[in-house]
Order: sequence, then structure tokens, then C-alpha cells
Amino acid sequence: MAERGDVDVLEDLLALESRLISAYEAALRREAIDTALGERLRDDEREHARAIEQALRHAGRRSPRASVPAPELTAALRTRTAFARYALDLEASALSSYAEASAAIANPRLRQPLGSIMACEAAHEVALREALGERILVA
Amino acid sequence: MAPFLTRREALGGAAAALVLASCGGGDPPPSTGPRPGSGAALLGSLLALEHAVVAAYAACEEALSGETLRNVRVIAAQEREHVGRLEEVIRDLGGEPPPGRSAAEYARTFPRLREPGDALAFAEDLEQRPVRAYLEALAELPAIGLREAAASIGADEGAHLAAVRVLQGLPAAQGPFVTGAL
Repeated sequence: MAERGDVDVLEDLLALESRLISAYEAALRREAIDTALGERLRDDEREHARAIEQALRHAGRRSPRASVPAPELTAALRTRTAFARYALDLEASALSSYAEASAAIANPRLRQPLGSIMACEAAHEVALREALGERILVA
Repeated sequence: MAPFLTRREALGGAAAALVLASCGGGDPPPSTGPRPGSGAALLGSLLALEHAVVAAYAACEEALSGETLRNVRVIAAQEREHVGRLEEVIRDLGGEPPPGRSAAEYARTFPRLREPGDALAFAEDLEQRPVRAYLEALAELPAIGLREAAASIGADEGAHLAAVRVLQGLPAAQGPFVTGAL
């Protein structure tokens, strides 16, 4: 069984993934994101969530935390530009959380997989910057 | 060379593997100074890889122009920053950072990059290596501070890989797990 700290880390990451999935699902429903891009990002986040849930089951997870939609999401769904900026902020938060988790988590077998999700979130940032017509890399 | 090897594979994957095997991770780790198990040897291997990547991007730049060149220059500048960060960390551990090889030595191992597509395919295959190397290092580096450095640089490498894919007209992410899965 993993230490309690690892379970906390994984549950926080799962909560982040839930926010991302909800955001992309809502954006797709409201056509606030290009369909192909939104589906690709949503599907990636679903895979991340599924993997973290699996890790949590191995670690002896607690009940999943309830989450409510963020109020900022409603405003962000009004235009594609607003949503892309909102999603970019969420992805940046996810990237930072995965970077921290992949270094700090006690179970060494989880570090590389969490890092691989981190690298995917970095790619999502690039995709969203491209959608915004911005420079794809921040100098 | 195998007869079924595609041009892209010949220019990209095989060449990148050869370049990085001969110029990167195969370089000897620092031989004196840091205590065994400090992580300095692994960081030395990552640094040797970064030296090779920096040289490879310099070769790519010669085949590129315009906005693509601008983006690749951003990547190359970040790779040079990684070199500096790794050198600093290795010195903090009491090690001597490996210096890398001469530009001419690296250049001899690179494929001829005639067109932008050649350079970007090479860059994509090149970027797979540091991404994988930094993520693997996360499981092996002994101190959290070292792992934080590896994660931070690994995140940059993930963005670089995505960027060179976008520059080729590909989706930024190649899948939900850039290497491996939970």
C-alpha cells in the first residue's frame, strides 16, 4: 500500500483531470472549441483519469471527491478565444502539478508514468497556443 | 540499412538513435568528485545528451527559415539553458560536467538535412530521446531536488516535441502518455 501522501497526491491529480474533462466536454457541447482538437484533448484527459483511478485502486483509495463546475468556466464558454485561454490556464496548472508530483511522489514506480502525463499536458499547452494563433513556444 | 526503411526513418529515427548513442548517453559520466549514488553520473549522461541535442538543432537550423526557424531557435536556446542548469547541478554535487564533443565531431554523425521536412523529422525523433531520458531519470534520481530539476526540464522537452510535431502539421500530442503508462 502506498503512503497516505501518495494517495493524496493522486486524488489531487484526479480532481484536476476531472476539471479538465468537464471543461472540454462543456466546450464541445457549446462549440467553444474546434471539435477535433476538443475531442483529442478530452480523450487524453480521460485516459489520464482512468490511469490515475487505476493507481488509486492499487493504493487503496478513498471515496472520490465531489466537484462542481468552476464559475469561470461559464464565462469562458462564450467564445473560442476565451475558452482556449481558460483551458490554457488549466493545462498550465496541470503541468505544474504533474511536474511536482512526478518528483515528490514516494512510490518510484509512479514517477515516470506521471512524468509521461506531464509531457502530454505540455503538448496540450502547445496545441492550445496554436489554436489561439499565438507563438507555440514561450521563449 | 534494411531495405524497408522509409526515408523518414532513415533521416529521423535511425539517424537520431545513432547520433545520440554515439554522442550522448554513451559518453562517460564524471569520474571524480561526487559520492556514488548521488545522481551525478546520471545527470552527466543527461548533460552529454543535451550537448548532442544542441549540436543537432544547430544542424537543423541550416535547413529552416521563417517562422519555423524562429521556433526552432527558441527550442535550441532552451536546450542550451538545460546544459547550463545541468552543469550547475553536477557541480553542486561535487562533479565535473562532461564537456561534450566538438561541433565537427557531432556534425559527422548527422544526416544531411536538405529540406525543412528532413530537419523537422530529425528533430521530432531527436526530441523523443531527451523526453524519455528525463522521465526515466525521475525514477532513479535519489534526491527530490534533482527529480524536480529533471521534471522541469522534461516538461520543456515535452513541449519541444509537441512543437516540432505542430511545425510538421501533426497534432501536438502523440497520445495521452508520451512514454509509458500508469
